[in-house]
Amino acid sequence: MAVMKFYCDPERCIECNGCVTACKNANEVPWGVNRRRVVTIKDGEPGERSLSVACMHCSDAPCAAVCPVNCFYTTDDGVVLHDKDICIGCGYCFYACPFGAPQFPKVGAFGTRGKMDKCTFCGGGPEADNSAEEYTKYGANRLAEGKLPLCAEMCATKALLAGDADVIADIYRKRVVNRGASVFNTGISYQNSTLRNPKGTPGKASSEN
Amino acid sequence: MIAQLVDGVFWNIAVAIFLLGIAWRIFAVFRHGARQDLAEPRGSAASGAIHTNWSRFIPRREIVAKINLHVIAGYMFHLGLFILLLFAAPHIKFAQDHVLGFGWPAMPHWAFVVVSQIAFAGLLLLWLQRVLHPVTRLISRADDHISTILVFVVMLTGCMALFESYTGLRVLHRFSVELFMIYFPFSSLMHAILFASSRGYTGAFFSVRGVKA
Amino acid sequence: MTRTDKRRHRMRKMLAWSGYTLLLVLLLPLLPYAIQAANDTQNNPAGYTPPTVVNPIEVPSPGAELWREVRQRDGSYVGDTQVKGVETGVLINKAGEDWRLFRMQMLVPYGAILMGAILGAILVFYFTRGTLRLAGGFSGKKILRFTLSERMVHWFTVALFWLLAVTGLILLYGRFVLIPLLGLEGFSVTASACKEAHNLFGPLFLFAMLALFITFFKDNFYARGDLKWLSKAGGLLGGHVSAGRFNAGEKIWFWLATLLGFALCITGLILDFAVVGLGREAMALSHVIHGISAVIMIAVSFGHIYLGTAGMEGSFSSMANGYVDENWAKSHHDLWYEEVKGTAIDAQEGKQGGGVPSGGVAQARRDI
Repeated sequence: MAVMKFYCDPERCIECNGCVTACKNANEVPWGVNRRRVVTIKDGEPGERSLSVACMHCSDAPCAAVCPVNCFYTTDDGVVLHDKDICIGCGYCFYACPFGAPQFPKVGAFGTRGKMDKCTFCGGGPEADNSAEEYTKYGANRLAEGKLPLCAEMCATKALLAGDADVIADIYRKRVVNRGASVFNTGISYQNSTLRNPKGTPGKASSEN
Repeated sequence: MIAQLVDGVFWNIAVAIFLLGIAWRIFAVFRHGARQDLAEPRGSAASGAIHTNWSRFIPRREIVAKINLHVIAGYMFHLGLFILLLFAAPHIKFAQDHVLGFGWPAMPHWAFVVVSQIAFAGLLLLWLQRVLHPVTRLISRADDHISTILVFVVMLTGCMALFESYTGLRVLHRFSVELFMIYFPFSSLMHAILFASSRGYTGAFFSVRGVKA
Repeated sequence: MTRTDKRRHRMRKMLAWSGYTLLLVLLLPLLPYAIQAANDTQNNPAGYTPPTVVNPIEVPSPGAELWREVRQRDGSYVGDTQVKGVETGVLINKAGEDWRLFRMQMLVPYGAILMGAILGAILVFYFTRGTLRLAGGFSGKKILRFTLSERMVHWFTVALFWLLAVTGLILLYGRFVLIPLLGLEGFSVTASACKEAHNLFGPLFLFAMLALFITFFKDNFYARGDLKWLSKAGGLLGGHVSAGRFNAGEKIWFWLATLLGFALCITGLILDFAVVGLGREAMALSHVIHGISAVIMIAVSFGHIYLGTAGMEGSFSSMANGYVDENWAKSHHDLWYEEVKGTAIDAQEGKQGGGVPSGGVAQARRDI
């Protein structure tokens, strides 16, 4: 069975936030909820990199482990989903998640948060596939239509990859090999390069020349 | 199915018993009338009634120290309860949808919680005093305890349903309210209505004799 | 030597020893640095300089620096993001997994073991030794031990404690114990109700704890004889030990409950008001302290409840109506009894009919 994973390539991410916009558009998330976000490290300095982060659909999901009402479940594809009807809005999943994926629509005193919302890998929820209730609560169910998440589909530079973990790992491995070769060519580590795209590496996906 | 019963038939029954019961109790109190006083009145009965209704909200100076817990906890509870009833967002919505047809501004969520805490604490302190004080423990009857527990259950179920996401909890709250409404006319809870006539009678009686009570 | 000289000599010795201890305590934090310096001289003797590598291919494991900052191992790094909120620029929340491991692998099992063990021990004790009877039976005279306000504060705190403890335990253990019974939907309703009740009425507990502390702290300071009381387990191992108004066991419970209670209140308020924007590490730490304090307090409260009800004959009436039997006072709190024995009244007074104790106005006022 395919295990669905995300991978964001920091060498390619140009911080366009296209993935963020695509997600919000496809899933009609409420105001204030950000299922996906782009974080930029070393902004403005040499070695600036950006990463697009949402739920990473962990195999041993900490959110599922700490949930007091056990509202999480993992599909056969390895996608971690939850049932909003069971969720009591306690926030424990947010405390446990390394990536800050769970989001809450309300901000209030006395622990008022509303029901948790997060990236579903465009996989919907426990309601019937592609039903109206499913769309209102969880957003699009692209997996049921045989499609991949919209954020990765929309990524202009193919920085954000989503799909079968083996396939993604293979793609990324090829990229790393090519980049390693380009580094030996120019003699500087691409971590330290000021230019995102090392010169003198024609034909490589990451070069501009 | 239960939700339909609670929201439908039971609610209608409860409202009917509530209103008819209160009307019957008020009628029962007033039908005896007041004894005819043939003396020359030295003050107006009506003004005395109104004055005493207001003046009784503040206890007499001589006994304040002795009853200070009753006064403080009493106000905590009663004020809190009325603020909750009138200005909690779910209640206003209910009044708008089911009773009156119009609404009014609600208080913010945090204020609702703080007020409910105050009301809860007040009720608990009052009931504890009733049970722990040797005198009130002796003179309290089942009616007093049942009234307290009913109000307590109403408030607790209300708070438990605050997430407003579970029909079951809302139905539980509504059902406890219906029980409360059915019990109301036949118990000491009627003080909520009768206090006005009770204070008014005292005020009128003494005002006619020229005494400011 | 005269007594004053001896006293002065003792004072000087105490002062000297305090001074030495203070100096030691102040110097203690320097110890790790001393050890470090010693190690450095051992590893790098004076005059040693590491060799310079000429013109290396500077290809560290690509992106190691990047990933180190992402992974937050060296400390919190906050990046920039378009999303506004608390900690949105943090890529990896290290505290999350630590907290998850603590809650699921330590708090849940060890908490259950602690509470179960203490409850089990109490039950074993009750069914073997039984209720500890009052030596000499009831005398028929009673003494006022707790006034109305003291009892009010105690039971107010009790009511809140039970509400919060039960709802809290359901939130901690319900997933394992109640979901098999109620199903996912059934438990979700229960848990939501418990969460609302717990979060809404939690802050009240702070006021209860404050009132409780102010009401009872005066008689709970250390007094002579407390250690002796503890060493003899309050007379459980045989014999009689003296105690004042509160014995050492009660004092320990008071201070433990105060400490744990305030820890629960403060961490509970932090957890309740996440809206303030403290971040996940603060929440996780608060939850850890909250959980540990709650479990310990519940476990020890089992003992307190047992001793106040079935454990010792004649104890419950002290909190129920405020009076204890004279024999009970002599037996358990003889030093306190010596102070108050003049106030003993007949046990039948104020029980039925009439209702006015013959002590008159003074007696009635003391009730309040």
